[in-house]
Amino acid sequence: MHIPDGFVDVPVAVTTGVVSLGTVAYAVRKTTRKLGERTIPLLGVTAAFIFAAQMLNFPVAGGTSGHFLGAMLAVALLGPWAAPIVMTVVLVVQALGMADGGVTALGANVFNMGVVAVLVGYAFFYGLKKLLPRTLTGYLVSVAVASWIAVVVASLAASAELALSGTVPMRIALPAMVSVHMVIGIGEALITTAVVGAVLAARPDLVKSFDLPLETVRPTPGSPRVRVAGRTRFWSFVAGALVVAVALAVFVSPFASGSPDGLEKVAADKGFESAASEEPTWGLSPLGDYQFPGLGSERVATAVAGLLGTVVLFALVVIVGRALGGRKAALAADGGRVDDDTRGRSSAGPTGPPGHA
Amino acid sequence: MLLTETRAERSRLHRLDARAKILGFIGFTVVVVTTPARAVWAFALYAVILAFLVGLSRLPLRHVLKRALVVVPFVLVVAIFLPFFHQAGSGGYSLGGMRVTGEGLLVLWNAGAKAVLGVLSMIILGSTTSFAELVAGFEQLRTPRIFVLIVSFMYRYSFVFVEELQRMRRAMTARNYRARWLWNVPTLGHMLSALFLRSYSRGERVYVAMLSRGYDGTVRVLDGGRFVATDAAFLGGLLAAVVVIRVFSSL
Repeated sequence: MHIPDGFVDVPVAVTTGVVSLGTVAYAVRKTTRKLGERTIPLLGVTAAFIFAAQMLNFPVAGGTSGHFLGAMLAVALLGPWAAPIVMTVVLVVQALGMADGGVTALGANVFNMGVVAVLVGYAFFYGLKKLLPRTLTGYLVSVAVASWIAVVVASLAASAELALSGTVPMRIALPAMVSVHMVIGIGEALITTAVVGAVLAARPDLVKSFDLPLETVRPTPGSPRVRVAGRTRFWSFVAGALVVAVALAVFVSPFASGSPDGLEKVAADKGFESAASEEPTWGLSPLGDYQFPGLGSERVATAVAGLLGTVVLFALVVIVGRALGGRKAALAADGGRVDDDTRGRSSAGPTGPPGHA
Repeated sequence: MLLTETRAERSRLHRLDARAKILGFIGFTVVVVTTPARAVWAFALYAVILAFLVGLSRLPLRHVLKRALVVVPFVLVVAIFLPFFHQAGSGGYSLGGMRVTGEGLLVLWNAGAKAVLGVLSMIILGSTTSFAELVAGFEQLRTPRIFVLIVSFMYRYSFVFVEELQRMRRAMTARNYRARWLWNVPTLGHMLSALFLRSYSRGERVYVAMLSRGYDGTVRVLDGGRFVATDAAFLGGLLAAVVVIRVFSSL
């Protein structure tokens, strides 16, 4: 998702750059006001962690992989205003030190991963925390759903920028790229929840966004140990995917109107009426004119509708893939069922989905 | 290993002031990106300038080119969508019923050429300037202090984190574990959790050790970095060259 130089045109680069600069400047003002002595090292450590974690590719299916983003992890650990700073630092270092993501696209990259992902993710996180029961599970589910959404909106913003720049066709590229990130987002949600859960269990003082009494994390002696993203069984994965799909259906409308650019708002306004009837056409119809296709029309709307369909489709793909892959795994001589590997290490109980989605 | 390249030899380019290189290479990239794609000769001249700088820096060419491969996936994405794009237009070729027009190819050329030139200029910058010099350069260019501080800490810790991560990954591989599917990801999540907790507490110890040795938020460097005539000449020459090319490219 690190856009290189030349992929966004000048208006997009300047607009996103100005918005990013403004947001980060505001975030700096918000953060420095209450900057404790240890805050800066903590920001540095988190930045280094996200930097390292982004180097870890996680598998999606077969040979394909995605990489960790870390926006919601930063929000959960540091709060919504320190997170954009940390993400910006990571992106600047990647652009200048490692040539990952273009310098002239830095504004766009910060906008996608440091502004949109962080703030939209935070909005969902905050809302879900209010809605869900005030328990550890409720908290971790909010983290999981919000980190999934953070990845999806970041990819939505990135593909919209590329399309507005005339680099990719909006009607095809946008649904394609966003639906890929809907799957990658599941990995993101799993990892973020695992890390936040583990940090909560070991060092709850480091998780700024956790506002429940600590007894919910530190179990009383004798009670079973807290399960933090312990079980990785297939069915809990499917349950998680379902939760995500439902969350998408429920939340698409607010996320579109809450996000900063009008593009998504249009989609939300139009998306639901046209969802059923026009969904199958988005992938096939050729793109006549490429100048801002879909702005103010049903095209973006149908794209969003297509996304809804894709989630269901992906659930199907996963199930079929598992059915085929599972048989192969069972046939393999060493029988290295990876789930068993994980199960041995965690002390999780035998039933129920874990806290993550 | 990570951000700084081997600095066994220090060429003229290595010895320049970081500010000159930061402004020069960022300026170069900005000018390149605004150049109209049709001016193919202009991109050729930009490439010649970069080739000259690579020669000057005495960086191994293979290494530079290999690192430039990061843009390949992005260019491929653009290429994949090309047949669905710019269907009204002349030139180009047909591909299984889909037409790729000259307009479409221009989009690919535009993104690809600019991405390659941009990534190359950043590779030269990053490979000829140590991270400490880069940070010092940005500090002298009046970057807000909070960023400079966070980046210095991040740099210090990122080696700890990356090496710890490599160690864990090696341990995992040694035990024949390979995450293949999305539902194996929680295992990686546990790994990253351990990484965070371990490295964080190490980072805290490092910080306390720094405090007890008198760290007060400023990192003192031996070489203050003076902006001398050579630096000005480099910066001026590079920017003048690309601006002239840029001006002629849109005539």
